[in-house]
Amino acid sequence: MLDNTGFTVLIYKLQENCAGIKQAAILDMIYNHTYPNKKVWTVYQMTRVAGEETDSLNLADFKYKFKRSLQTALKNVTINFREYEDNALWIRIAWGTQYTKPNQYKATYIVYHLQTPYVFISSLRSNLPLLCQALVHASNYHDIHEMELRSRCLDSLKDIVFKRYSQTFQTYHPRPLQERNVAPEKVDPRIIQENKREKERIQRVNQEVFGNGLQPKIEFAQYKLETMFKGEPEMDILTEKEPFRCVVKFSSPHLLEALKSLAPAGMADAPLSPLLTCIPQKARNYFKIKERKDILSASCLGS
Amino acid sequence: MEEATAYLRDGVLSHLEKLEAHARTLALKQEETQQQQEKLARLRARVQELRLQRDELQTKVNLQQVGLIRQERGTGSNVEPIQAVEARGKALLKWEVENVKSMLQAFHLTGISGKLTKQGVCFCISTAYERTYLDSYYLDLLIQQPVQIRHHSVPIFIPLEEIAKKYLQTDIKRFLAMLSDHLNAYAGRKYQADQLQEHFSAFLEGTLQRNLLQNVLLFNYDVETESKTFPFRAKLVYGDVTRCLPTEAIITCKAGDVSASLLEKTAAHSNLFCHTALHKAFDSFKRAAERLEQTA
Repeated sequence: MLDNTGFTVLIYKLQENCAGIKQAAILDMIYNHTYPNKKVWTVYQMTRVAGEETDSLNLADFKYKFKRSLQTALKNVTINFREYEDNALWIRIAWGTQYTKPNQYKATYIVYHLQTPYVFISSLRSNLPLLCQALVHASNYHDIHEMELRSRCLDSLKDIVFKRYSQTFQTYHPRPLQERNVAPEKVDPRIIQENKREKERIQRVNQEVFGNGLQPKIEFAQYKLETMFKGEPEMDILTEKEPFRCVVKFSSPHLLEALKSLAPAGMADAPLSPLLTCIPQKARNYFKIKERKDILSASCLGS
Repeated sequence: MEEATAYLRDGVLSHLEKLEAHARTLALKQEETQQQQEKLARLRARVQELRLQRDELQTKVNLQQVGLIRQERGTGSNVEPIQAVEARGKALLKWEVENVKSMLQAFHLTGISGKLTKQGVCFCISTAYERTYLDSYYLDLLIQQPVQIRHHSVPIFIPLEEIAKKYLQTDIKRFLAMLSDHLNAYAGRKYQADQLQEHFSAFLEGTLQRNLLQNVLLFNYDVETESKTFPFRAKLVYGDVTRCLPTEAIITCKAGDVSASLLEKTAAHSNLFCHTALHKAFDSFKRAAERLEQTA
């Protein structure tokens, strides 16, 4: 979103040129489409009831139903649509209330690909139930829930849920390796690598876990621990009744690439904890870890 | 006998003495010869032994000499006995490895191949369309009750969950076959649309609109007839997602008034698109246009 002053200036300029709110909204959408990393995007998933067949949805139908659903519930909304070549439908919604006009400065953005059950939403401060209902109704789904997956990089979120990132599978038919940009080092033959085998093992394990390609870009991973404190039996202040609550947050400009480089840099043992490496596969970066029967299943309990 | 009578004149005892002495010397002689003979025999045996030893040593020396000569010649074939065997063993192993690799490659080319993993099996579904191999998709299955998909690289718009719900637990073969059909059809449609965009963009007006599953295509193209160019609009709907040809082809002419011949043309095109691959249909347009140019 253009910042407040920017948008105000834009409005004045457009008014000078007799352009309307609609043009300003479209310009706002174009700006956000070009710079989507200025917002944090959350992924929502829509689900069907078992047994319902997927019917091919018409884009025009969706737009019509969505608009009608929102406008019947809330009179003061501005809704704009814009379609892009990669089959993405961008929706911009400026919310108002019963008595106030829509606030153009705090618009919500929604990105939806028609034949997928995923919706990407940013800048939503209120009216979540209303929006969810409209989405579900318009797209012929039954239900929608928030996935624990958030990032600034919209494309990476799409890569994770559409499974477009490189995963490794065990196969007899190895896919051609991508060329790595490694400049051949001038190795002095007098230098011997003492831990050569260990280094190779780390490389191999890393490759099995992370694959060959670039990782999707997320900025943080958060683990809410609700596990019991395990300390010396003498220190029975904390050992007992209450789980020890704490939150561990990893943040980085590019978290997954950073995790990938930990073991080769010697800062962590390979293989890394599955809690860290399961992020793209489980399509989530917010975890709740309960008392251990089996930690991985606990983290799937969801928030 | 005459000696005996001569000795009898001297006396019997002296005769007996002489006889005794004679016997003794004879016995001594006999003993001597016997000893000599034994000695001879022993020496002969020794000679045999020494001869045998000599022969052995001689053969050893001969071999070594031969070896030295061969080394001098520098052919290295003196090490043949051991290393030749090794080389042959390596070649055999290499041949076996190549054999297995090509068998696995053959399996992969059939379209559905798999590899056992620690907890299950990883299937690879390779797609192809008309002699071109396209992408491969992977499915990692956990073999347990119930069978679970651990992770996969199937695109989101392929109804994997639905197919799995129907067939995964009961009939894995059918599950894989259905999934393979869906993926191959998707890959085929995508390939046709890609080919159209790449090679026949001269015919297209504007962009080719297509959805994720590649089962609804919208495009505008020009048709030259009666020495005029008419803009046609095509909407191809692939109702059956396991097929590569559209179930419905709606062709409209965007020009103002449409003559009967144009209507015929739209019908003909509609039929063509429903029965021929997209890029091949445009290839026929291209050839028709070239023929027209040549005759004109």
